[in-house]
Amino acid sequence: MSSSDDTRTERAGAGDTVVEALGITKSFDEVLALDRVDLDLARGEVHALLGENGAGKTTISNVLAGIYRPDAGVIRVDREERHFRSPAAAIEAGIGMVHQHFRLIKPMTVAENIHLGWADTPGVITRTMLEERTARVMDEVGLHVDPAAEIWQLSVGEQQRVEITRTLARGARILILDEPTAVLTAQEARELFTVMRGLVAGGRTVVFISHKLNEVLEVSDRITVLRGGRNVVTRPTYGATPRELARLMTGEAREVTADARAAPGDQPVLTIEGMTARGARGSIALHDLSLTVYSGEIVGIAGVSGNGQTELAEVVAGLRRPDEGRILIGGVEHTLSSPRRVVDAGVGHIPEDRLGVGLVRTAQVRDNAVLRSYWNSDNSGRLGLHRGRIAEFARRLVESARVQTSSIHATAGHLSGGNQQRLIAGREALIADRVFIANQPTRGLDVHSTQDVRESLLARRAAGCAVLLISDDLDEVLEMSDRILVMYEGSVNGEFRRGAADRERIGLLMGGHVAEAELESGAR
Amino acid sequence: MSVAVGSRSIRLERRLHVDPRRSALIRVIGLLASLVVVALLLAITGRDVPVLAGEILDTTLGTSFGLQSTAVLATPILLDAIAVAIPLRMRLWNIGVEGQFYVGALAAAGVGIYVDAPGPILLVLMALAGALGGALWILVPALARAFWNVNEIITTLLLNFVAIQWVTWFSIGPWRDKEAEVVSATPEVGARLPVLIENGILHIGFFLPLILAAAFFVVFRSWRWGYEVDMIGGNPRAAEFAGVDVRRRIMSVMLLSGALAGISGMVHLSGASGRLQGTISNQYGLSGFIVAALAGASFVALIAGGLFIALLLASGVALQGVGLSVYIVLAVYGLALIGIGVGEMASRYRLTIGDRREHPVGSERGPP
Amino acid sequence: MSIEDLFAAIRTAIDAGVVIAFAGSGELLAERVGVLNLGQEGLIGIGAVTAVLAADAGAGPWVAFVVGMAAAGLMGFLFAVSVVVIRTNQVLTGLAVVLTGVGLSNQIGNGFQGSPVMHTFETLRIPFLADIPQLGPALFNHSPPVYLCYIALPVVVWFLLFRTRHGMNLRAVGQDPAAADAAGINVTGIRLAYTTIGSALSGAGGAFLMLDLTPVWSVNVARSRGWVALALVIFAAWRPALLVVGAFLFGALDSLNFLIQRLNLGIPSSLLKMMPYIVTLALIIVPAVLTRFGFKGRSTVAPGALAQPYFREER
Repeated sequence: MSSSDDTRTERAGAGDTVVEALGITKSFDEVLALDRVDLDLARGEVHALLGENGAGKTTISNVLAGIYRPDAGVIRVDREERHFRSPAAAIEAGIGMVHQHFRLIKPMTVAENIHLGWADTPGVITRTMLEERTARVMDEVGLHVDPAAEIWQLSVGEQQRVEITRTLARGARILILDEPTAVLTAQEARELFTVMRGLVAGGRTVVFISHKLNEVLEVSDRITVLRGGRNVVTRPTYGATPRELARLMTGEAREVTADARAAPGDQPVLTIEGMTARGARGSIALHDLSLTVYSGEIVGIAGVSGNGQTELAEVVAGLRRPDEGRILIGGVEHTLSSPRRVVDAGVGHIPEDRLGVGLVRTAQVRDNAVLRSYWNSDNSGRLGLHRGRIAEFARRLVESARVQTSSIHATAGHLSGGNQQRLIAGREALIADRVFIANQPTRGLDVHSTQDVRESLLARRAAGCAVLLISDDLDEVLEMSDRILVMYEGSVNGEFRRGAADRERIGLLMGGHVAEAELESGAR
Repeated sequence: MSVAVGSRSIRLERRLHVDPRRSALIRVIGLLASLVVVALLLAITGRDVPVLAGEILDTTLGTSFGLQSTAVLATPILLDAIAVAIPLRMRLWNIGVEGQFYVGALAAAGVGIYVDAPGPILLVLMALAGALGGALWILVPALARAFWNVNEIITTLLLNFVAIQWVTWFSIGPWRDKEAEVVSATPEVGARLPVLIENGILHIGFFLPLILAAAFFVVFRSWRWGYEVDMIGGNPRAAEFAGVDVRRRIMSVMLLSGALAGISGMVHLSGASGRLQGTISNQYGLSGFIVAALAGASFVALIAGGLFIALLLASGVALQGVGLSVYIVLAVYGLALIGIGVGEMASRYRLTIGDRREHPVGSERGPP
Repeated sequence: MSIEDLFAAIRTAIDAGVVIAFAGSGELLAERVGVLNLGQEGLIGIGAVTAVLAADAGAGPWVAFVVGMAAAGLMGFLFAVSVVVIRTNQVLTGLAVVLTGVGLSNQIGNGFQGSPVMHTFETLRIPFLADIPQLGPALFNHSPPVYLCYIALPVVVWFLLFRTRHGMNLRAVGQDPAAADAAGINVTGIRLAYTTIGSALSGAGGAFLMLDLTPVWSVNVARSRGWVALALVIFAAWRPALLVVGAFLFGALDSLNFLIQRLNLGIPSSLLKMMPYIVTLALIIVPAVLTRFGFKGRSTVAPGALAQPYFREER
């Protein structure tokens, strides 16, 4: 692969230990989140913490960063035993954490955010002074963003850089990044990896929390796998394989692969022709896009988030008006249909923003179960809703979708993320007679929920539905799809059949390198 | 939040499930607690509390006139409270019911004074005028909220003061009753709501809030419209996902609210007051708003709360007898409000004494 | 109408605006840390009545002024504890403050109706400046609190908010308490402190009312000026300098009223009384509409977390 491989081989295990955590145990109420975890971090390394949701990687990081106090165990920094009472104490010892959800103040400037709550900030300030100090700090650290810009004006990648600069400015030598690539485009992730390697070259340590195997393999020097609150293994990255890591992470080989034998029908169910549409900010998100999905097949849309996938899903589901183009469902025009008409036409949609769009958190499970079907003749009549039938429907849905909840009257917001998604997926699957659109359906879910959601997609396919799976997890797309379309900047720039899918070419197309992809295929 | 006492700490932890009955009970306790505080204060300053309490109950509920006065006072408060409660389910705070009440009364007075029609018909026309007036008065804030996301608390609040000035001007200016000696009111309106008891003051308008409360109870339980309003209140984007036109619903709910407040104005005008004047409302909108906000989603609590507040305000007269001014009632009112508010928060938390614990922070519920 | 009349009107306007300038500045501070305190009307009343009590007990104007501030500050502190620590609903609790404040002050002040306050402020003539013809007496011959509220207060508040580290932290609390908390800023402490200080300033307005402007107690002494102060904060887009300018303008409407009635210009006094509210309403709605139609002004001017209680657990 790249030459950085070689430097990593050399450096694996070469640095001194800067942080040692021994026997860390932590419980919340009765749940044991960390079970005698040992962890050591070396100077000048990128150390990956790999694990599923709930494995404990964020918890152990929070302990190191002083946000939690461990029930038992010892932390040593530079061989000195430390007890962190607060994040401030951890920073003093040189450990700082950048969280998934940034704590930046949107209307204030980069310079202000960096100086917020910082003892080093002088008592009397002016805007210019703060900006100059910020520029200096950024030079030292090697990250650059316009200090006078207000946070809301910056891209997510730039905001992350501000967060990182903040933490480093306060003296962090050990930088913990919690799932930093979850919110980045592929290009931004690339840039972040470069930054990370730059930081460790200067002697710092970066802890990279992730559940993405490929990224971990690409950028880290050592990997610690956590599962169920335990440290399963700590090993050099060199020589590790995705298969092996995946097995260590999940502890079992339950894999769901699409049944290669099932063949799609020849009826086009969902047809999109020449679709042009704008996104939330007014710029063009879909550009003369066309695609067809047949009954009984899963079409996977590969591509980096932000290339129009969400707008595509919204346009089909009736949540967004296109500028041009046509949508046909079962041959019937539905270009400008309302969400309700689209539901009645048999189109189910698992939205990307599960909590923001898919559920009413403060409402009961029952109310959420009928959110997309309360108007049909089963659930309501001329005089209003049929409460009894709705309750029955909700109960059946909860059971068939395997939603773990004490009752249908429980508040939906109190369910775990996995159960929330099971509820949504189950609800939409029932609606999806003809078409099923799933947008990032398994993002952030634990293994079992992921299984259940994928199974519902497969079940719909088996029933003859046309399934459109949008996912930025290329592995998922490759595993589940009968056909793969690659989306880049609002149009489809590549199509592959199952079996003929080539990871590298797809990767190139995802990055927009059409010409190179063709060159590659030509070279074979 | 927590307070450290040695190595242990007393902390307030948020409850995951708030039992509505428990919440209601604790709120009532909060209310009673503040009443006890008031009683203590009165006792300290030398007043005979039990006798005073007896007199209060006597004046308000003990006599026929007292009961009727309380009911007449409760009517606009309850109607205003219902007007607030509907948009509140969508997290829209219409604090402008006072102004909409005024404009509704204004429109109803205009029709009632200058239109010639037989009694019942005139009343219907007045009611329509009142509803229209109230709805018109909330139109600009409703548009601003629905289409440009302008906070409705401030906009509706500001219009209250404008409305009061409008009505004051009309009643001392163009519509002033020139024949009577009264300088600051209009002539009587052409039709009045019939009273229930001969020579009494309790008018049939009193039943309107009770009927409306029952009707809306059914609407929010079993009607699609009610379900949609509640879903929007929970998550507008999810409601859009469900196919509801949220902006349209914001408009219609707010206009409905304004119309109800306008009708409240008309009812008070034609039932209790008879003439339009700048002081036609004695902060009914404020009380209505408070009652609705405290009652939450429960119409039963709304009716109970409104009746209680009316009782409280009506007791001002009895207090004057012991040398307290009417104003002390306001202070009591304020304290009661605080007591209930604190009670409400108390019901959401549970006090635990124990070793310091932390809360799991994570994107998923439950330990990360 | 003569030039003398105009300048006399300006002088009256300046005095008339003091109450809302004090209350408005106080509310500005509270809102800048994210707390909406609707209770101004009640706080002004409490400040007024306690100042009267102090004056009646023989205190000089400055002492009475401070007493008024302290009493309103205490009430404000209780309000702050309620909404910041216990986290009761800010709108409802603010209304409770109005009711309790107005009720208590009317009750206590009942005995003082009609009797003039004994020790009021004396005007402080500023040498040189007060000698400027016409303009001098209008601007530079007022009692001390007037200079405080129009000059010292906005300067101090501006400097605090925009030129100090503490002020930056303070603004952060109002914009995003969760982020401020994460940055190690004491959100609870700051909200408590500035809500209390803000309430004390409202009390200062009430005290000034009794110690200079209209030194006789009357029922509902605040006369809706508390509500005007709330509107004023929005009118001034949470900026201290604009706020006192706006207070002067609103005060001018008050004094203009007298002038216009005297001149029989045919504008009803009710119409003038509406103006502050209508203008503020327009100032809120017009920019929002313009933004929708493409005019990209600055990012939201209002403190982002206004009226939201901050729950540390709900991250």
